[in-house]
Amino acid sequence: MNSPTPKVSGRIPLIEAVGLTKHFGADGSVIPVLRDVSLKVYPGEMVAVTGPSGSGKSTLLYILGLLLKPTSGIYRLGGDDVLGLDRTGQADCRRRRLGFVFQSCDLMENSNVFENLEFPLIYAGVSRAERQPRVVAAMERVNLGHRLYHQANLLSGGERQRVAVARALVNRPQVILADEPTGQLDRQNSHMIMDHFEEIVGNGDTAVVVVTHDPDIARRCGRICPMEDGVLHGV
Amino acid sequence: MRLNDLLRISVRQVFRHRRRYWGVVLAIALGVAGFITVVTMGSDVKKNFNQKLDLIGGVTIIRAYFDSEQDRTARRLWFQPRTVAALQNLPGVQEASLVGFRPVGAVRHKQQHHFMAVAVDENFWSVRSFWARHGALFSREAVLHRERVCALGSSLARKIYGHDQVAGLSLEIEHDNYLVTGVVGGLADSGLADFAFVPLTTAQDRFTGQTLADRVYVRCRTWDDVAAVAEAIPKTVQAHQGADHLMVHVSWDALRHVQKVAFWLEFLVYLGVFATLTLGGVGIWVVMMAAVRSRTREIGLKKAMGAEDRDILAQFLTESLCLSLGSALLGIGLGRLLVEGTSGWIGIRPSEELFLTCLGLGLLFALAAGVGAGLYPSVQASRMEVVAATRYE
Repeated sequence: MNSPTPKVSGRIPLIEAVGLTKHFGADGSVIPVLRDVSLKVYPGEMVAVTGPSGSGKSTLLYILGLLLKPTSGIYRLGGDDVLGLDRTGQADCRRRRLGFVFQSCDLMENSNVFENLEFPLIYAGVSRAERQPRVVAAMERVNLGHRLYHQANLLSGGERQRVAVARALVNRPQVILADEPTGQLDRQNSHMIMDHFEEIVGNGDTAVVVVTHDPDIARRCGRICPMEDGVLHGV
Repeated sequence: MRLNDLLRISVRQVFRHRRRYWGVVLAIALGVAGFITVVTMGSDVKKNFNQKLDLIGGVTIIRAYFDSEQDRTARRLWFQPRTVAALQNLPGVQEASLVGFRPVGAVRHKQQHHFMAVAVDENFWSVRSFWARHGALFSREAVLHRERVCALGSSLARKIYGHDQVAGLSLEIEHDNYLVTGVVGGLADSGLADFAFVPLTTAQDRFTGQTLADRVYVRCRTWDDVAAVAEAIPKTVQAHQGADHLMVHVSWDALRHVQKVAFWLEFLVYLGVFATLTLGGVGIWVVMMAAVRSRTREIGLKKAMGAEDRDILAQFLTESLCLSLGSALLGIGLGRLLVEGTSGWIGIRPSEELFLTCLGLGLLFALAAGVGAGLYPSVQASRMEVVAATRYE
């Protein structure tokens, strides 16, 4: 099942990266990780970035998530040049416009599910009264409304990743960036996560970028961009 | 991040990681409790020890007397009441007692006994911390009303009566009948065990010849007052009546020994408190560093969720403060219990103001330890790179 092909003509891309490069280096040696990467992602679109380990796909995702600065290039988020922002501006951008889902189902182990979902809202300055309904709504979107006050460390792997998706959703971001979101899940749970992503992009306002090396998962996305040695194909 | 959220999250974190923190909590709580107890009760405990003459070997007693033996041609001198009153008012003096000695004869069942009578004023018993081994010591009123009463040293009582259950019996001293009130016990009673004690007023009225009050016992409040009081006594006596042949006797060796023991005890107690507090402060630093390390992924995750550097800094710093202030509050509670217990034990109520000052200092220490020890780990946490943090294993 593929996600519907978005109607992109005449719309501003949510993600517009042009000529992104990233070099890591130490002691005079320079290792190019991204080479002239350009990418546009539109609202309602789900894009898979695939490729072998070390191809640079996670680095691209971190740059798109403003967690890492590129060596050169242009990156616009919803039409705004976000690379020029200072650390505070980029943090603000992350909490209001971006949502992350990591491979390792990162939840705060000593907190319950509600508290895990509350953190992004706290950082975004959402009032306490408004947090409860938003957390409940996000949890219901991933069909885990009944697990609201369970300890994070008592959830199954699939449930934990669905909670991570709910946490990425809770601030109503424009873009969800998922780094190997199904990497530690079985097939059934992997497809359940992808079902949620399809549902999210289905509203037409949000875009999802999924980094994966699983062809089955990639095929669930509307567009597949293979990456090899820091070069992004199929853009 | 709002302050109430910050506090709520920090308290929650500290509470949930309480097993990691209990050692630090204990160290700070014990240190603060010790500090409060030592400072609040220290001076009272010291005063209390000074009241226990038998514990400190009577080093707070100064004996001043006129030594007429130095010059047999000089007339014998004695202390004037105004001199004694002036000595009573010297700083560091708790009480002074006027005493005279003279040999007397007594008859019991037609048997003659000769011994030394100690004529004492109304302060004597309390100055020397004497107490009644049997019966009672004659009262202040007995001295003021010049009553014919006496108290006997235990050895003298046994010599005269064959036993020391002598309270209520009578004894003829210098041709007058005296009621024996009891047998004297207490510090150095061995030295006076062969003596009889009579009111100074009675002795001066009834004994033939003069009973010269040529000796004063001055009791200092604490051993720290002894040197200054000993130095002031000759000047005070000189100012009121002349101090020729005045001798002032202090047990200097015993005093120095007691002071040395007290100094080391006090030093060790303060050292213990200081070491415990330092341990607590270092403990906070260590556990916060460990917390930052073990929560590296959490930090990365929070930054990915939009937390700013200052949010992370504030959270770890607040956790550190919660830890130190929470421990200090526990220590203050414990300190209060210890102060109550100690004051009940020694029977002295400490100044509430002093306790509150210590409480404030305890909180101030906790604040300084929380910020001082928590700042570096918090800065480390806030400067963490997100990507490295989220990939930390």
